Amino acid sequence: MNRFLSILFQSSLLLILAFIALPLVVVFAASVSPTAVISFNPSEWTMKWFGELTSSRWLDPFLLSVKLATIVTFLSGVLGLLAAYAVAYRKCPGHEAIMAFLLSPLAVPQIVKGLAIVLFLSSFGFYHLLGTAGLVMAHVVLTLPFVVRMIAGAMYNFDRRLDQAARILGATAFQRIRFILLPIIKPGLFSGMTFAFILSFNNIPLSVFLVRPGETTLPITVINHMEYSLDPVLAAVNVASLAFILAAIFLFERIGGFSTQIHGGSK
Amino acid sequence: MTSVESLSPPLPARRSLPHISQYLPLVPPAVVLLFVFAIPMGMMISLSFRASEGDAPTLYHYERFFGDGLMLAGLWRTALMSGLVAICVTVMAYPIAYYLARSRSRWRPVVFALAIAPELAGVVLRTYGWLVILEDHGAINATLMWAGILSEPLPLSKNLVGVVIGLTHVVLPFGVLSLLTSIQGIDPNLERAAQILGASRLSVIRRIILPLSIPGIVSSLLIAFTISASAYATPALLGGAGFKVLATMVYEQVLFYIDWPFAAVMAVVLLVMMLTIAFVGGRFEARLHKKLHI
Repeated sequence: MNRFLSILFQSSLLLILAFIALPLVVVFAASVSPTAVISFNPSEWTMKWFGELTSSRWLDPFLLSVKLATIVTFLSGVLGLLAAYAVAYRKCPGHEAIMAFLLSPLAVPQIVKGLAIVLFLSSFGFYHLLGTAGLVMAHVVLTLPFVVRMIAGAMYNFDRRLDQAARILGATAFQRIRFILLPIIKPGLFSGMTFAFILSFNNIPLSVFLVRPGETTLPITVINHMEYSLDPVLAAVNVASLAFILAAIFLFERIGGFSTQIHGGSK
Repeated sequence: MTSVESLSPPLPARRSLPHISQYLPLVPPAVVLLFVFAIPMGMMISLSFRASEGDAPTLYHYERFFGDGLMLAGLWRTALMSGLVAICVTVMAYPIAYYLARSRSRWRPVVFALAIAPELAGVVLRTYGWLVILEDHGAINATLMWAGILSEPLPLSKNLVGVVIGLTHVVLPFGVLSLLTSIQGIDPNLERAAQILGASRLSVIRRIILPLSIPGIVSSLLIAFTISASAYATPALLGGAGFKVLATMVYEQVLFYIDWPFAAVMAVVLLVMMLTIAFVGGRFEARLHKKLHI
C-alpha cells in the first residue's frame, strides 16, 4: 500500500513537472524547426528564424522595451528608496498608513489601472503623452509597490546599532546613508529593481492601453502578430527575449549580489 | 532635576514634534502615485456614475450592465474560469509543495527551479507554446488525427478549456509558494509520531497533513482566483473572440465601442469583485489560522 502510494505520488509529480515544462520545450523546438511543423530532430534544426530578428519590425519594439524597462527600473529604484527611507527607516509618524498607501496599487487589477490612466490622460487632452511617456508612468506605478516592499523589508532588518556606532564616531547623516545604510540594503534594492525590470519588460495589460503606432513594446507587437498566425519567427522572438531577461538578471545579480538573500545566506 | 534624564543625551527634536523634513523624501513617490494612480482611479470611479462626462451622478450605466445578459454572462464566465483555475492550481501545486517541503533529495533544487522559473518567461512565451500545442492544427490535434483517433479536431483553444490550461500554467508558481509556506510550518514530528504509532501513509496524509495545511489550501485558492479574475493576456489570446471575460471586455469597450463610462463600470465591477473576495477570504483565512494554532 505504502509502495503503491509513493509510486503514485512520484508519477503525479513527474506529470505536473512535465505540464510545466511542456509549453517552454515546444517554444524552444519551434524556434529552431525549419518549418512551422515542430521538429525534435536536432540534425534539422536551423537558426534562420533568429536571423529575421534584426529587421526593424522586431528590433524597434525590442529596443523600446529595453529603454522602457531600464528607465522604469531606475525611477522605481530611486522613488522606492526615498519612500522606504521615510517609512521603514525613519519611521515617520503615520508610517503604517503611508505604507498602506504606497502598496495600494497592488490591490487593483492591472487592466483597471491601465483604463484609469488612459482615461485621465485623455480627459485632460494629454494625448501626446500616450506612447513612451505614458508607458513609463504606468509601469512605474506598477513596479513601485514591489520595490518599496523589498527595500522596506531590508530596512526593517537593518541593525540600528551600526548607525549609532557611526554617529558616535562622528559620521554625518550623509556618510551614514552612503557608507552604512545603502551597502547593507543593496541586495534588497537590487532584487526589487530586478523584479521591476522583468515586470516592465514582460508587461501586457498596462501597455496595451498606452502603446501607439511606432511606439509599441515587444510583448504587444508579438501578441498583435499572434492573433493572425503562429509564425515560427514569434517563437524565435520569445526565446531571444527570454535569453535577454536571463542575461539581465545575471547582470543585476553581479552588481547587487541578492542571491545570498534568496538562499538565506546573509542577514 | 538631577534625574537620569539630564545624564542621557538630549532627545532628538523629531521625537517631540513631527519634523516636516522627514516627510520630504516621500514627496516624489507620493506625487507619482497621486497623479498616476489615485487621481485617475478616483476619476474613473466618478465617471462610472455619470451618463456622460460632466453630467449629474446616476446609476444609469450600472443598470445597463446588470440588465444586459451579455455582461452578466461575461461576469459568470470570469467567475467560472477563476474558480476552475483556482482548483486546478491548488490540486497540482500540492504535490510539488509537499515534495519541496519534505524532500532532502538532490533533485529538490531542480524541482524548485522548474516550479518557479517559468514565471520569468512571461505570459506571451507560454501562451504561444500552448497555442502551438492546443490549436486546431496544433500538436495534440495533429497527432490524434494522424493516428486516426479523431476525424475532427478537438476544440482545445479559443474556449474555456484553453484558457483554464493556460492560466493554470501561469498561476501555478503562486499556488506552490503559498502551499509551501503552510506545509513547511507543519512539524514533521507529528508525521513521524503517527507513523510510529502505526498509521499508514494514507491516513497520515488524510488525517494530519491535509487538515493542518487547510490555511495554505485556502490561501492558494484565493490567490489563484484573484490573479485569474484580473488576468488579461491569457484569456485574450487563448480565449479569443469566443471566450470573453471582464478584463478582456473592458479593453474591448475602450477600443471598439469607445464607451468610457461603461468601460469604467466594468472596471469598477471587476475591482469590487476582487476586493470583496480578497477581504472575505482573508478574514476566513485568519480565522482558520487562529483555530489551528491556538
